Amino acid sequence: MITTSGLTKSFDLDGGSILALAPLDHRIEKGAFVSIVGPSGCGKSTFLRLIAGLEDASGGTIELDTGSAKRPVGFVFQDAVLLPWKTVRDNIRFPLDTAGVRRDEGNRIVSELIELVGLSGFEDALPKQLSGGMRQRAAIARALSDDPPILLMDEPFSAVDLLTRETLNDELLRIWQRTGKTILLVTHSVEEAAYLGSEVMVMSPRPGRLKKTYTVDLPHPRGEATKLDPAYHQLVAELRQDMRETE
Amino acid sequence: MMSRFRPVFEYGVALALLTVAWWYASGPMGIPKYLLPSPQSTVSTLWDSLVSGELWPHLWFTVRNILLGLGIGSVAGIAVAYLLYKMPRLSTFLDGPLVVFQTAPKIALAPLFVVWFGLGLTAKIVLIVSLVFFPVLMGALAGFRSIDSRMHDLAKLLKLNPFSLFWRIDLMAALPGIFVGLKIGAVQALVGAILAEWISGSDGLGYLMTFASATYKTPLLFGAVLLTSLLGIALHGLLGVIEGRLLSWKVQDGR
Repeated sequence: MITTSGLTKSFDLDGGSILALAPLDHRIEKGAFVSIVGPSGCGKSTFLRLIAGLEDASGGTIELDTGSAKRPVGFVFQDAVLLPWKTVRDNIRFPLDTAGVRRDEGNRIVSELIELVGLSGFEDALPKQLSGGMRQRAAIARALSDDPPILLMDEPFSAVDLLTRETLNDELLRIWQRTGKTILLVTHSVEEAAYLGSEVMVMSPRPGRLKKTYTVDLPHPRGEATKLDPAYHQLVAELRQDMRETE
Repeated sequence: MMSRFRPVFEYGVALALLTVAWWYASGPMGIPKYLLPSPQSTVSTLWDSLVSGELWPHLWFTVRNILLGLGIGSVAGIAVAYLLYKMPRLSTFLDGPLVVFQTAPKIALAPLFVVWFGLGLTAKIVLIVSLVFFPVLMGALAGFRSIDSRMHDLAKLLKLNPFSLFWRIDLMAALPGIFVGLKIGAVQALVGAILAEWISGSDGLGYLMTFASATYKTPLLFGAVLLTSLLGIALHGLLGVIEGRLLSWKVQDGR
């Protein structure tokens, strides 16, 4: 689904050049849920932004096997980045409106998504009236609205409180299973990475590179029972160990 | 509910005090009528000329010029601001000249505009536009430059064309800044319109003032001044209403 070969990115800084991402060869299968963990400066966000086309690669290639999709990726930012002058409904509609989707068709999709992310009753609220968690739900719905095969999430829950975060994690799993999308999620939390991912990429800094990849065999659907599973704890411990080594 | 009427109340009291002071100065204090007409005679003069219909063409002339100048000046100000915002290299070239033009006293240039554009409508509109253009340009530029860059990430993801980017994101995001400039520009437009009518022509509230003062019709002069003030308040109020509608997303809730 996503194949990168020799993908690399360097930034110019004060005349010098900083390698943000060392050449990275990796393949992500269709329908995978890939968690990406690593300390700050390991290039995980850069990796995501390269796939999204928000940055241009300095070298190497990315292949998205997404056929003719005009907008192959949906992106969820760290903050919701909703348009503050639009209601929740219109924010979610925005990708559809700008793609020229018919009004009634758009309405149908939007009400489904509002249901899916649990924002019923807040359709006409403005972003300023929502809590951080609700804004992020709206952002997820917006990223899904024009049905991209790939969903990229850059630390989407780092700004919400722990309880909301756990709820949103469960909902994200539910959305993933219902929609079958390929999801890449960047996070600081090894617990979140292990709990959500079908695969975990561990990255290390200076220069940013892929250190290790884990395949996660924890059974689905995941829930509170998963968090008691010794295999889950084993994985979290290993990830934490990896993170320490990379410091 | 009380808080909503408070400003109205305060304005009312201030206005009443002013009127009483005016009445006192022109009546009991005995200032001659040709220097200071009484409030009653001013209002009745104003009323008579409104009823007879001779005032309306003048009022409309001024209002139309203000709206025209405000419209052209704003569109041009926003357009140039966007151009400068989109082309940072251009803006390093133009920043200097723009500051010179901005600080140049446009009002002092009014006679020059007459020389260049004649005694007709063009010179008047040019003067108003030149007064509106700069505040709107500066406000819009500040607005555009404060746009959250992540909104442009979003635009890139959605592959918005430049037209959609402008209409759907940049213009909306810059509206608060644009309105700061627009409010300053509206006051300037009124000043410019009146001034232009002083200089030439035989229409408008400004002309009415020069005519009244030349013929010692002081009540008419005061009436025209009063009407101009009211026009300014109306303009300010109108912009406030439009801003309230367009920028309701910006105003903080009371929570």
